[in-house]
Amino acid sequence: METEPSLYTPKARKSFLGKSYDFMAGFHLATVLLLVLLLLTWLATLEQIDQGLHYTLNKYFSWKSPYIIPTINGKIVPVLLPGGYYICALLLVNMILGGVVRIRKTPRQIGNLISHFGIIFMLIAGGVAHHFEIRGNMAIGEGEMSDVAEDYTEYVIEVAEVINGERETFHVIRGEFLSDLKKGKNRTFDFEGIPFSLVIGGYSKNVVPVSIGDRAPKKGELVTDGFYLFENEPEKEAERNIAGAYGKYVLENGEISDPIIITAASFHPHTIKVGERLFTVDMRKRLWPMPFQVKLDKFTADFHPGTSRPAEFISDIRRLENGQESTVRIEMNEPMRYEGLTFFQASYGPEGAKPGEKMFSIFEIVRNPADKWPEYSLYTVAVGMLITFLTKLFGHLSAAARKRNQHG
Amino acid sequence: MKPFFLTTALIALFFASCEKHGDRVKVEETRRNTVKDSDPKMFATSNERFLDAKPSPIQGTHPETWLVRPARQFRLLNYSFGEAGLGEIYVSISSGRVLENVNRWLIQFGKDELNQEGFESMERIPIVGVEGVWIEADGEYGAGMGAEAKPGYGLAGVVAEVDGKILTVKMVGPKNEVAAEKERLRAFVGSLRMTGASTEY
Repeated sequence: METEPSLYTPKARKSFLGKSYDFMAGFHLATVLLLVLLLLTWLATLEQIDQGLHYTLNKYFSWKSPYIIPTINGKIVPVLLPGGYYICALLLVNMILGGVVRIRKTPRQIGNLISHFGIIFMLIAGGVAHHFEIRGNMAIGEGEMSDVAEDYTEYVIEVAEVINGERETFHVIRGEFLSDLKKGKNRTFDFEGIPFSLVIGGYSKNVVPVSIGDRAPKKGELVTDGFYLFENEPEKEAERNIAGAYGKYVLENGEISDPIIITAASFHPHTIKVGERLFTVDMRKRLWPMPFQVKLDKFTADFHPGTSRPAEFISDIRRLENGQESTVRIEMNEPMRYEGLTFFQASYGPEGAKPGEKMFSIFEIVRNPADKWPEYSLYTVAVGMLITFLTKLFGHLSAAARKRNQHG
Repeated sequence: MKPFFLTTALIALFFASCEKHGDRVKVEETRRNTVKDSDPKMFATSNERFLDAKPSPIQGTHPETWLVRPARQFRLLNYSFGEAGLGEIYVSISSGRVLENVNRWLIQFGKDELNQEGFESMERIPIVGVEGVWIEADGEYGAGMGAEAKPGYGLAGVVAEVDGKILTVKMVGPKNEVAAEKERLRAFVGSLRMTGASTEY
């Protein structure tokens, strides 16, 4: 950050815009923003112990969180803090104005300028990842093949026509259209080529379908065909939630069905028959088809002695695409990068597997347009700092030599 | 002042782009069939959709305070309990030896493995006509699979060998909630009976 007097020459009386510009480009603002970021990171680290990582990351750093009230050990901390996303956005503006636009453009400042570009690049990478990154996971047993990843937390409703026992195309209602449909709020969905609309409401992020024979509803829940959705507290680990909602379908002649339960906790989809055509309606975590197939040939897990903690786990896979096969090894910290996708060796199963037991491998799959940007930005910052240090060093050595010459 | 105006315009544009969804939406997104899309069971009843239709190889009488969760692979009977539903109880049939399974559970709580002598001294309780080993532990629970460790958790359960297979009843949850449920767990274990259905899920 520029600390020396700038070329910007202050006038006797500055306009409001001039003062605003000075403030936005100032070193003081950068310092405060970095301290607030540090505070947010510390509070988020504490809060995620109770609330889980997914919830906490969203609460502290999502663009949907303009402000934050921390909760530590279950108690609300009565402090209103700005959201991390907006702090980073302000820091980006501050860096551009102060670290690039206003900085003195002299040879001595080249290193600083490069470092500032590196930090700006890193902040932009964070923003791009936040808005455009897609994450999912793929679990495959040895000898099995998969061509699809599953989202960790997003539940969708899918409608598909069944033709000759097969479903070729699934119409997908994304989670963003469902998650606000709490009790009392409905939304109607229309589909291309589907002869009915679907009205969805009563969405809950964590439910169990319960038979009224097992337990009578106590909170006035809607009962349909002997079942209702019992709402559980959201899980600390958000990926363990099982969502559900109620729906009705409206035929083109205006006929409306009885309510149906649509939940990810069901073993089979709901069937709708319109004339001779058959359709399925189901809720599940969003599926993300891959542009190639992955076959797991061998999974190897080595555990630390006497523990169930893995020392390393390795997946030997074959990537199948357009009749071509490639053999790839994916292991911890050695992901496979291909066609804009990154396959990380993330985990394994089944839960609590013993050494020697047959297991399956779990990959985390990420599509992030800014995948390598943080790495490049670090190189940029490092180069900038190296130039700055070398400039200072040579400057110091030159000054010392001049001094010696003057005295000599 | 150009940078200032540019910044203000960008921020205004950003907020203008935040829109709420209307009451009627045309669904545009589609996806193709994948290996996860097996042939659907058509016209499944609500019982078939929401309850495990397969006959369970084991049945029992659970307390009213436990919530029945859908059975799944490795969880023939599956329940949750506790104020926030964090506690879990599940009955599984697997392979191996009793001591191996006991030690696996202990390791999940960061405890030392038992030797044969320690194993012999553990409490035994009746379960489906055989003697099972009663096990308790508490501490930081690491279920494996890279799952985040959970501090302040408790374990109570039974491991028994039945017809060459390992029958386990495992209760895990917040330590105080597990402590409060132990007696009900013992009663539940006493109520378990094998139904003769296949033990393959």
